[in-house]
Amino acid sequence: MTPLQRDLTEIMRDEMIMRDEITKLLTSEPHTVPEIAEALKVPTTEALLWLTAMRRYGLVEEVGRADANGYFKYTLVKEEN
Amino acid sequence: MLPTDISQELDYDICIVGAGIAGMESALNLGDMGYRVLLVEKEASIGGKMILLSKVFPTLDCASCISTPKMASAAHHPNVTIMVYSEIDEIERKENGTFGVQMHQKPTYVDPNACIGCGQCETACTVAIPDEFNFNLDARRVAHIPFPQAVPKKAILQRNGQSPCNHTCPAGVKPHGYTSLVRAGLHDAAFELHLETTPLIGSLSRACYAPCEKECTRGEFEGSVQIRAIKRFIADRYYELNSEPNYGPVKERKDKRIAIVGAGPAGLNAAFQLARKGYDVTIFEAEEKAGGTMQYGIPDVRLPKDVLERDIKNVTALGVSIRTNTKVESLEKLKQDGFDAVFLGLGCSRTRSKREESADGTTSVKTKAPGRVRSPNTTPFADEIKLAANGVIEINKTLQTSLPYVFAGGDAVTGPLTITAAIGQGNQAAYFIEQFLQGHPLNAADLKELECTDKLAVIAREARLSTRKPTKLLKRENVSKEEGRKAAKLPLTEEEARYSANRCLDCGNCSECHQCVSVCPSNAIDFSMQPIHHQIKVGSVIIATGFELFDAHRKPTFGFGKYPNVVTAMQMDRLLSPTRPFNSVLRPSDGKEPDNIAFVLCVGSRDSQVDHRLCSRVCCMYTAKQAQLIMGSLPLADVTIYYIDIRAFGKGYDEFYEQAKGMGVDFVHGKVADITESSEDEGNLVVRFENLTEGKIEKREHDLVVLSVGLLPNTSAQGMFRGTSIEADNFRYIKEMDEDMEPGVTSIDGVFVAGAANAARDIPDTILHSGAAAVQAAAYIENLKGLVC
Ligand SMILES: Cc1cc2nc3c(=O)[nH]c(=O)nc-3n(C[C@H](O)[C@H](O)[C@H](O)COP(=O)(O)OP(=O)(O)OC[C@H]3O[C@@H](n4cnc5c(N)ncnc54)[C@H](O)[C@@H]3O)c2cc1C
Ligand code: SF4
Ligand code: SF4
Repeated sequence: MTPLQRDLTEIMRDEMIMRDEITKLLTSEPHTVPEIAEALKVPTTEALLWLTAMRRYGLVEEVGRADANGYFKYTLVKEEN
Repeated sequence: MLPTDISQELDYDICIVGAGIAGMESALNLGDMGYRVLLVEKEASIGGKMILLSKVFPTLDCASCISTPKMASAAHHPNVTIMVYSEIDEIERKENGTFGVQMHQKPTYVDPNACIGCGQCETACTVAIPDEFNFNLDARRVAHIPFPQAVPKKAILQRNGQSPCNHTCPAGVKPHGYTSLVRAGLHDAAFELHLETTPLIGSLSRACYAPCEKECTRGEFEGSVQIRAIKRFIADRYYELNSEPNYGPVKERKDKRIAIVGAGPAGLNAAFQLARKGYDVTIFEAEEKAGGTMQYGIPDVRLPKDVLERDIKNVTALGVSIRTNTKVESLEKLKQDGFDAVFLGLGCSRTRSKREESADGTTSVKTKAPGRVRSPNTTPFADEIKLAANGVIEINKTLQTSLPYVFAGGDAVTGPLTITAAIGQGNQAAYFIEQFLQGHPLNAADLKELECTDKLAVIAREARLSTRKPTKLLKRENVSKEEGRKAAKLPLTEEEARYSANRCLDCGNCSECHQCVSVCPSNAIDFSMQPIHHQIKVGSVIIATGFELFDAHRKPTFGFGKYPNVVTAMQMDRLLSPTRPFNSVLRPSDGKEPDNIAFVLCVGSRDSQVDHRLCSRVCCMYTAKQAQLIMGSLPLADVTIYYIDIRAFGKGYDEFYEQAKGMGVDFVHGKVADITESSEDEGNLVVRFENLTEGKIEKREHDLVVLSVGLLPNTSAQGMFRGTSIEADNFRYIKEMDEDMEPGVTSIDGVFVAGAANAARDIPDTILHSGAAAVQAAAYIENLKGLVC
């Protein structure tokens, strides 16, 4: 079910809530976008948008290269002391 | 009087509108020739489309490596003045051949001289919106620096009017601000933001009549954002964790004393604001306890008195002393006692009856029933200040009474008010008292806020909004009838509060949460900024407003906006650029690196269905460029280009096309009919096309499709001229009167056109054309020089 169900503006507003959920998830181990989407029961498109914003503002980063299916794993950026 | 050369009268020799590569190039040429140039750009950075590209054909040079030095030279050129975030209102050609330009700089709400471009405001900002410079592929913040290479590299706040809730609150509270903070989980910051406006947070969370909720745009959908319930969550949570305020009197003291008469909402607020400024404040209260209406007018069950007491601690923690049981009878006496200014927040005398609470349980203290009319407590001062016939105090627009050092607000001025409005007056009085004590002129216009957001535009923007019902406020068990309906409501849990806050539509974009203010290391955020209007005299004008991109939504059968994996070429250029939104070229549906990518050429070009018959001249080549770049970054990917015919007309362009073929790009001579989603592979797309070589309909599957959208004329300059309009050609581009012999010359003598404002052009052609326009403008100025005023 990929067709965009909601407008970008609405999806992006949700980032402020969803980033806490994603942070909780990534605390245990790095995840790909489809893994995050499945765990949080949200569309992959939306998970990517939130994750991308978290990456842009320094909260997450990718780990290594894409896997055989083309997906990167993302992890939390370690806070500097 | 000796005649003067016209050019001596001018502020600038040439005004250039639009600072893309065309405008910058013309400006640099003219600047180098010694002309004074004003370069006006509507965006917050110069650079136009070129700075957003990945690389440029046919050289495959990095676009920003070429653009950035040009941008820097334009910004630092001694003869070039740049005005960004600015718009032309009108240009008038004078009889003597010069031009009067009316324009304005839009407020950025960030002092450009103070901003150091660190981006901390952006990281802290709590409102996420689509990033137009990444063509909506990712989210940015309301506070933002346009893009990493922006010139000037300064932050701006995108304020789209003031959100209706913020605009409505008579107390000046920023509901949108604390709502967006709660949504982000910043509950302490939400309390602190509220505290900026009033110390009476707990009381308001129970007793405010919430006009913000009545104005809330979400109310036009399934119900308003429950702003007051969110406020109650903020106050209750904070008071639970902090039984005492965590601050004391401010360290920097001011040597002035202020008397506040009346410890109702207006008086408490005025005292709080002035004490925060370092003044020595004393409140005199005739009753036994502070709080006024809140103490004596609202039953405990609705406004528990321990909540009110905790609110009042927010005031006394600042060192404000409250002398209860003390009736002030003479203003002169206060002066003699050493007070430099007085605020009268007297309130009205009232009958303390149970029935004082209104039937719906709200807190408007307006009394409607006969026999309950309250009268202002102003009698003692009748000899000292002017009162109106009904006994209320007469004040001017700055709340000043007939005695200059005495200010007044609340019920004693207006007649019975709401607590919320009284708080607003307390705040205003504090502002004007401070101005008075500092010897500044009192000006009511100082407190003017931004105009309200256009609610209809917000409703239109949210047309596809999903349904999110307001939270059902749970009821407390065993509530007696007398306690009333409202008293029975339980507060929101944290989860409910965040869910409720997330129903907010961010109407005016900026929520006024003030996170940017808190983190900015150079105090650059300035919410009081206004547009700056200029009237400028120039000798000549160059229009370099560039092109618009074809809106791919206009070809609905291609699925743009419906299928996330259908993107435009401009988005692909962003995906390929070093400052790209993702960590690699990823498809937007799920973050996968695509391995089978298709391009569809001529989308919105050579197409009479969308009323654009022109060839856009750059799409074949930028597509061949993007195909090569994709093969460079995703070596295993298959790339297909669907084309009607390839136009590779420039020097080295045909070779560039052959190079793409040689790298393995599959050029398919086909006209695409539609794009749908694959039923088998999630996110994959099926392209149905007419194979023009074999004359049959075929289908192919890809995991990302790029629409090579065309260039359209930007018509914004065409209405700029007073009394005349600049002529456009049959395709709505600005017309050159003799394109063979006189490049850049338009229908208005002295106005020239440069770059893609005149026709679809690639960068080398744009640069040439801009040079020609610059020379034409220079020649025009030289002719003017011969003329005298
Ligand atoms: C996807 C894509 C890829 C491309 N790749 C290449 C490539 O690889 N090589 C190549 O040679 N060309 C390429 N081009 C073409 C290139 O983008 C143009 O040649 C170039 O941008 C034209 O420059 P310009 O300054 O005329 O217009 P623009 O870049 O459009 O700049 C116009 C400027 O004017 C401003 N403006 C507009 N209206 C107003 C107003 N009313 N008031 C004030 N300011 C205003 C705009 O904000 C903008 O900053 C590509 C185009 C596209 C769409
Ligand atoms: S006030 Fe808040 S919402 Fe507005 S720009 Fe600043 S941080 Fe962003
Ligand atoms: S939707 Fe949000 S910003 Fe708009 S009026 Fe309601 S609370 Fe305020």
